[in-house]
Amino acid sequence: MSVIDALLTHYNYYAVVLLLGIGVYMLVESTNLIKKVIGMNIFQTGIFLFFITAAYVEGGAAPVVHEGGGPYVSPLPHVLILTAIVVGVALTAVALALVVRIYDEYGTLDEEVLRQLYHD
Amino acid sequence: MTPSVLEVVLLVFVLTSALGAALLKDTLAAVMAFAAYSLGISIIWVLLQAPDVGLTEAAVGAGVMTILLLIALANTVRPSEDQLFERVRPRTVLAVGAFVLVMGATVPALPAVGATDSPVGSGEVTDYYLDNAYEETEVHNAVTAVLAAYRGFDTLGEAVVVFVAGVATLTVLRTEAFA
Repeated sequence: MSVIDALLTHYNYYAVVLLLGIGVYMLVESTNLIKKVIGMNIFQTGIFLFFITAAYVEGGAAPVVHEGGGPYVSPLPHVLILTAIVVGVALTAVALALVVRIYDEYGTLDEEVLRQLYHD
Repeated sequence: MTPSVLEVVLLVFVLTSALGAALLKDTLAAVMAFAAYSLGISIIWVLLQAPDVGLTEAAVGAGVMTILLLIALANTVRPSEDQLFERVRPRTVLAVGAFVLVMGATVPALPAVGATDSPVGSGEVTDYYLDNAYEETEVHNAVTAVLAAYRGFDTLGEAVVVFVAGVATLTVLRTEAFA
């Protein structure tokens, strides 16, 4: 299978890979803690895109079942991702609370300054 | 199946706003780019026939998440705007590039987008839910049926997580609003 063919048939999965890459880059490279939290969320939504794409069936309808309807896309990944989105927000809330607390204690959000303060 | 023009436009929009969130130096600009990203991805959910996920993402991802980030920004500091973009370090780009290449190499092994014979789309569990959800729960929306009935304990666990997160947030911030 040529690269172009793969890109045309697996486009969403390549977007997943790129989103995961951007998320990892932000987690590693951003020195600002709030941007790290944003990076974590981008990584998460990359995984969500993987699940929802896996659930998709060409020509399928949303899984609201009626007599004689169909085909439908798979409802199970949708449920898992609904749960994951809410858990992700809870995670973000705790992370941001910690960020605000760190700022109150140390007066900075810069990772490198924080490391310096920690070593002193 | 090949992507429609709308899908390509949305994917490019989503990837661009994610890159914007990564590279913009100003935190407020990064938060705005992330809000645009969430909105774009919620439209992708609708195109992929997942309206429930799309609604949740638009309300919670683009709405609540942006508000949380803005509250955090209001209580902390915005870095001084001496430059528009972050400094890009080649070492990290190389490491992340290798990660992306390795992940990308596995993609062709997956079933094509929308394949009718994919393990998820034609799986036993999927067929069971679609065939029996209405008779067993009298709910037309299979997603609701699975969320509230078949996987009800899962959803209870989710509620526990949200509760614990609320308690943790208040504890960390030493808020005495409920004391």
